[in-house]
Amino acid sequence: MTETTPLLQLDNIVKNYGAIEALRGISFDIARGEVLALLGDNGAGKSTLVKIISGGLEATSGRIVFDGIERNFTSPAEAKAAGIETVYQDLSLCTNVDVVANFFMGREIVKRFLGVPILQEREMQTVVEKAMANAGTRIPSMRTNVEHLSGGQRQAIELNRFVHWGGKLVLLDEPFAALGVEQTRRGLDMIKRIAAQGIGVVIITHIMAQAFQVADRMVVIRQGKVAGNVERAKTSPDEVVRMITGESL
Amino acid sequence: MSARQRAIIEFMLDNLVWLLLIVVLAAFSIGIPSYFQIGIFTNIIEDSTYVGVMAIGLAIVIIAGNMDLSVESVAGLTAMVTGILFCNGGIGLGYTMAPVEWLAIPVSLLLAIAVGGIIGFSNGLLVVKLRMNAFIVTLASYIWVRGLVLALSGGRSAQGMVPELRIIGIPIDPILLPPSALIAIVSFIGFSFLMRRTPFGRHITMIGGNPIATFRAGIKTDRLILVSFILAGAVAGIAGWLLAIRTSGATANLGVGMLFKAFAAVVIGGVSLKGGIGQLPGVYAGVLLLSAIQTAINLMGLPAHYTQLILGALVLAAMLIDTLKLQIRQRLA
Repeated sequence: MTETTPLLQLDNIVKNYGAIEALRGISFDIARGEVLALLGDNGAGKSTLVKIISGGLEATSGRIVFDGIERNFTSPAEAKAAGIETVYQDLSLCTNVDVVANFFMGREIVKRFLGVPILQEREMQTVVEKAMANAGTRIPSMRTNVEHLSGGQRQAIELNRFVHWGGKLVLLDEPFAALGVEQTRRGLDMIKRIAAQGIGVVIITHIMAQAFQVADRMVVIRQGKVAGNVERAKTSPDEVVRMITGESL
Repeated sequence: MSARQRAIIEFMLDNLVWLLLIVVLAAFSIGIPSYFQIGIFTNIIEDSTYVGVMAIGLAIVIIAGNMDLSVESVAGLTAMVTGILFCNGGIGLGYTMAPVEWLAIPVSLLLAIAVGGIIGFSNGLLVVKLRMNAFIVTLASYIWVRGLVLALSGGRSAQGMVPELRIIGIPIDPILLPPSALIAIVSFIGFSFLMRRTPFGRHITMIGGNPIATFRAGIKTDRLILVSFILAGAVAGIAGWLLAIRTSGATANLGVGMLFKAFAAVVIGGVSLKGGIGQLPGVYAGVLLLSAIQTAINLMGLPAHYTQLILGALVLAAMLIDTLKLQIRQRLA
């Protein structure tokens, strides 16, 4: 496997619900370190596709090659173990505990004393502080409960945690829906930084301006098919909108 | 605000109930003649043993986001089992472990833990496997377990605990506290440690905060919830065992009313019924506070039903303080 093989290859993905064809042969690649905006009208099949990539649904037919290996995820846990994760707003943090506890959720550093596992708080805090500093995220105290942090800070914790634990491809579903202008700007910066570390990022969004601010490439889904797959530099918002609505040029 | 000031305020908020306890004890000591005595204070600690131990398990289940109403009846059952086996009078069978008589202590204790644990297990199984509402499941247990106590005893009582068990309830000379009170204190320390310093406690707290997130993070949420119910049952079993020793026997209605005190202590101690929030040392302070107030009422010669009025008012006050604490915290962040 070399750096030039795509991180994720989707090859003719089809998903049928009975007689209804939700996806009618989707094919595209995502490279390492690439930010891809997945666009499309409501009902175009974006959510179905995202669920198939992250293990929430199984495709009716087609091939998914991730990290050079053909995969057939049957659960989100499997996809997660391989390094693919969907970050949903507020679904993956426990707001009643602090940043450190959230960062290490289920993977705590322990030392056994007489067979009893004891949490190594200082060690864990050092790790989190380092990871946050590397990502340029500023949170006053790693011991603050997450409920007291802003939406942007929460998102930063989720993304940094994902990167720290070996995530390779992250899917962000409307990541800035609940954020303010300044937080959105920081969020977009953070996405660029994460991609710069060689991680693939898929953003599902309706907001064209955000897609053009951060994405390297736009993939437009329309009626279960890829209606457009263009580099940002070679397209314009107007063109993408026409792809989404299916208007002829 | 400096980080240090902030830390101090956070610490005070976390330990508000301890401050309250100190203030109340000081006020009673000044205001009520004969309150300020070693004997009174050791009595408060001794009196806190039973509700205290029961409140540990209740608090853990509530922190995990569930509810256990059965703890009182479970304590009643293990008290009755202990009473029937190790009492000489009434329906007691008067077993001894002769020639090694002290073995009665570990044997009866383990039996109480096992009986309580089994009921906790059945509660937990119904909640986790059948997705039944914990409130309803444990309400049913609250009723049927008390029914079992009545059936076992035939409504009669056991008296005259064998002496090798009674020593658990007799004060030790220099410290004026019986081993039972020490068992309660050691339990609080042990379980506080478990909740604060081990992955188990951390995960229980996180499940109470967001079960979906913890499940998605690969934490075995169902198993941990089941364990929390087993613990609550087992610990309630210990409370019943201690209760039987204190009263040197068991009646069919032993322990009735303890559930509400345990609940009050848990809430006053800062545990949120929404789950995910609360610490066990606070719960112990809550139990001590109730006991301190009860003692004051007794010393002042007020009718006993005043206790209930004050108990209710305290629970409401605890809720108000909880809201206030939340507002201060939000301002800090």
